Amino acid sequence: MQYWINHNGVQAGPVSLDEMKEMGLTSRAYVWCEGLSDWVKITQMPELQGYYEMISEPAAQQQPVPEQQAVNSGQVITGQPYQPQPAQPQYAQPQAAATDEPCPPTNLVWAIISTVLCCIPTGIVAIIYALKVTNKYREGDIEGAKRASETGAWWCIATIILGIIVQPFMSILPALMMSAG
Amino acid sequence: MRRTLIIILAIAALLVFGIIYYALDPSQSGMFPRCTFLTLTGYKCPGCGSQRAIHALLHGDVVGAFKYNALLLISIPWIALCLYAETQRIRNPRLYTRINAPQLMWFFLITVLLWWLLRNIFNW
Repeated sequence: MQYWINHNGVQAGPVSLDEMKEMGLTSRAYVWCEGLSDWVKITQMPELQGYYEMISEPAAQQQPVPEQQAVNSGQVITGQPYQPQPAQPQYAQPQAAATDEPCPPTNLVWAIISTVLCCIPTGIVAIIYALKVTNKYREGDIEGAKRASETGAWWCIATIILGIIVQPFMSILPALMMSAG
Repeated sequence: MRRTLIIILAIAALLVFGIIYYALDPSQSGMFPRCTFLTLTGYKCPGCGSQRAIHALLHGDVVGAFKYNALLLISIPWIALCLYAETQRIRNPRLYTRINAPQLMWFFLITVLLWWLLRNIFNW
């Protein structure tokens, strides 16, 4: 079984169980593997028990810890003192997400398609919800981002249904009424 | 399994729509839906002309497509990029977050609103 890992701002995968042991993961990490519909906290995977170190929450605001260097270089350095490395990617990206949980779907592609193709201006609302998802996600409000993602998806579905099913029906309605009357 | 089914259905639907929009010209045939927003208000919506633009594109007429709906033509590369990001969301969340940047979304939103306004002023 191969796993994908998101931990301390570093994304890795696919990795095997043996490789995971070397990564110095903590209970803060998120994992995904084939068969899962979305990422889950590593603590929710019983088969991965023992492959990570339990640490106390809330740790999301903590400074990056040495594990990420182990992920980058592929070697175990657990237990060594923290050596600051200014070239870490998360310092260069002030916009990077505040947590390791991946962003919920923004539905952006469906919002664009429904705006451009469906002739119903409600697609614009879906774009605004896509913006809301990324903004909330970047603020660290995962629950808010998930809610915005769901509402945005409904706007996309409504726009596509109105555009592809209701609209053609509306346009043939006069012809139907003419032939009936 | 379910994923493969969805992909097959999507390709089949694309093919059917592609054949319809290739064979019939929406500016000639009466069986294509007319924009409800245009009918109700008399103003064009951002998507007006996209059916004719698709017909023109399928016949290789890029200039014609641009004249019918310039927004459609310039969004195609971006739609492709976002669709790719969507397929990679689980495997590569970092790439997904980068493509779904708020700056790009604002840019698209403002482009759509300007396009909506200007096309009704200049009758594009």
